[in-house]
Amino acid sequence: MDFGLSPEQELFAHSLRGYLSQHFPMQRVRTLMEAEHRADPERIEALSGQGLAGILVPTDCGGSGLALLDAVIAAVELGRAATPVSFHSAFVAAPYLLSQALPEPSMRGWLEAIAAGKSLLSFARLPAKASSGKWNGSASFVADAMVADAFVVASGDDSAPEFYLLPAATPGLSVEPLLNIDATRVLGDVSFEAVALPARSRLPIADPAGALRRVLDAGRIVLAADAFGAAERSLESAVEYSLLREQFGRLIGSFQAVKHMCAESYAELEPLRALLWYAAFAWDEELDDASYAATLLKSHCCEVATEVVANAVQVYGGMGFTYDCDVQIWFKRAGYDRQMWGGPSELRARAVEMARAGV
Amino acid sequence: MDLSYGPGYEQFRNEIRRFLEEHREQAPPPRLGLAENSAAMRRWQGILVDHGYACRTVPKNYGGYGAEEDLLKTIIIGEEFRKASVSAGIASQGISMLVPTLLRYGSEEQKREYIEPTIRGELIWCQGYSEPEAGSDLAGLKTSAVVDGDDFVVNGHKIWTSTAREARMMFALVRTEPEASKHKGISYLLISMDSPGLEIRPLKMMTGHAGFNEVFFNDVRVPKRNIIGRRGQGWEVGKATLVHERNMLGASDHSMTMLQSCMKVLDDCGALDDPLLADQAMKLAARTMAMKYHSLRMLTDKLKGRSPGAAGLITKLNGCQLNHDICKLAIDAMGEGGILREGSRRVRDRGRWQSEYMFQLGLIIGGGTAQIQKNIISEVGLGMPREPKTPQRGTRE
Repeated sequence: MDFGLSPEQELFAHSLRGYLSQHFPMQRVRTLMEAEHRADPERIEALSGQGLAGILVPTDCGGSGLALLDAVIAAVELGRAATPVSFHSAFVAAPYLLSQALPEPSMRGWLEAIAAGKSLLSFARLPAKASSGKWNGSASFVADAMVADAFVVASGDDSAPEFYLLPAATPGLSVEPLLNIDATRVLGDVSFEAVALPARSRLPIADPAGALRRVLDAGRIVLAADAFGAAERSLESAVEYSLLREQFGRLIGSFQAVKHMCAESYAELEPLRALLWYAAFAWDEELDDASYAATLLKSHCCEVATEVVANAVQVYGGMGFTYDCDVQIWFKRAGYDRQMWGGPSELRARAVEMARAGV
Repeated sequence: MDLSYGPGYEQFRNEIRRFLEEHREQAPPPRLGLAENSAAMRRWQGILVDHGYACRTVPKNYGGYGAEEDLLKTIIIGEEFRKASVSAGIASQGISMLVPTLLRYGSEEQKREYIEPTIRGELIWCQGYSEPEAGSDLAGLKTSAVVDGDDFVVNGHKIWTSTAREARMMFALVRTEPEASKHKGISYLLISMDSPGLEIRPLKMMTGHAGFNEVFFNDVRVPKRNIIGRRGQGWEVGKATLVHERNMLGASDHSMTMLQSCMKVLDDCGALDDPLLADQAMKLAARTMAMKYHSLRMLTDKLKGRSPGAAGLITKLNGCQLNHDICKLAIDAMGEGGILREGSRRVRDRGRWQSEYMFQLGLIIGGGTAQIQKNIISEVGLGMPREPKTPQRGTRE
């Protein structure tokens, strides 16, 4: 029995925290937020440091070949630092699906490019199916739509999806930005107009329905981890502020109204660290309740995280409501995590079906 | 990360299963809440102690089994007894709080006199800590003990005393050094419940059961040798087991069992077809699952001898609130039927959900209120300052 992180994993979290504070300090995060939809090779390259970009890329393709639990550790740190990256899409979903299709030699090149920070890929979900070899339709809320070099597209319904890899320059493919609250992660729509699908663009994945379920579970788990990190950091920051700010001749951190709000935030958030670990572990080991754990985790963790960040804004008082105060960045970060890939109620509706089916 | 117990422990698990198969007929039927102390229960408790499935680490010369401390084995015993729905023996404050205290602070004579009859359920104890004026601020207790010859003479008033009427003895915190500072003036005494001058008054809980009592001391004489530890050391002696009580009160096993029963109620009532109730159920499922793995994390820290830090302070606060919320949802799913109480026609589960709902509210308060827990989390865990002292009642116009 050893339920926790290994010394190596703790070291990884620690060195990543140092790396991110050096390469993506808050000032740089704010600059990047202004840049929004512009391509930024330097940023992508910086993310390949510490093995971040290649975290799930197999070792023989230049990656670290680590487990989802390690990706969760990274996602918590990215959330804490509000690092501008769509980690769940670019470095979890895309490499996971490509590595499932590895017998296909062309995948190797893309995986190596991801790990080296040379290419940015994005995951897109397209409900429509190709008809007579041509694609029409559009995929919404696609991460990094404007700046991705290629898209890993899952098309068709959940029971029999097909996966394709399409470079951004594919004829008939166009992208349009969406403006979302969280400027550290950009979104857009990807439209397909009579896009021809050459056979070689199709990913040969043995169990496509299983792969789609697993890629969505993995993405949800790391989105939850990101929200957890954002919430954890904003709570720490609020407590720090409460030990500096004085009102009525006292530190505001000595008022029970403030202390209890922070204690409640902590008590609700902290058990989710263990659930994050378990959900990732269950995914890695393909345990029976892996999907159920991922679904419950994402619904609850993101909900608690948004409350915790909102409480942190309140501890800061009026200052917390300003653009200058970093809490607003985490607030939006957690808000993004909460809505993407299934909001709390939607996921709980899925979970209850699993519970009834006896998971 | 490894959630398995390993082959040695799986063998231990098989031994328990064999034991349960062979002996389960002798066990009294399981029931909710603290196990009653009947003759059948005491016989069963004796069998468990002899086989090392209850009080297993109590040394042989004090009547125990003398096993090495092994947290995983203790957990596996709990798992297997729960799975088999067999009573795991007597759960009492004497066993969970007094015995560890005696083992650590008691004299050789005290250990020999009290431990064996306590773990076999022959000697029942009650706890005398809280007072009407000393609840959350327990160290403010006033019940006094003054030396007179070979005795302490005790005067005062204890409250919230469970099992005071069944108990033959009380372990109590009393003030022996009125001049010393608040925490330094307390001693830990063992008091016979049939002492002259000691009076018990039952205190009915909101559930209708008289689960608590008040105990009054009027010049009660207690032999001086009945002190555990030194004079003035009582706060330290008593506090060591309070932490244990808090973690017991928030144990996640209980939440998991309750959630399972709650889901059954919801399913039977068709409530899972109601998206609003189903949503609430899944919220509780997520909280329960998180607490389950949180306790595995705490267990791992314990096994490795690591301090869990602030994360170790949230079990009681979260666990009791979670249990309370699970009961609330089961009651809501029953609609009007949710208000029926034990004995009524059409009542479900013998009215257990309402009484448990009320009882859990009591647990949110008992063993350190939720507000006190939040103070501890913010002060000890998050490093926030204590509330400054304000003038006492009556000193301000």
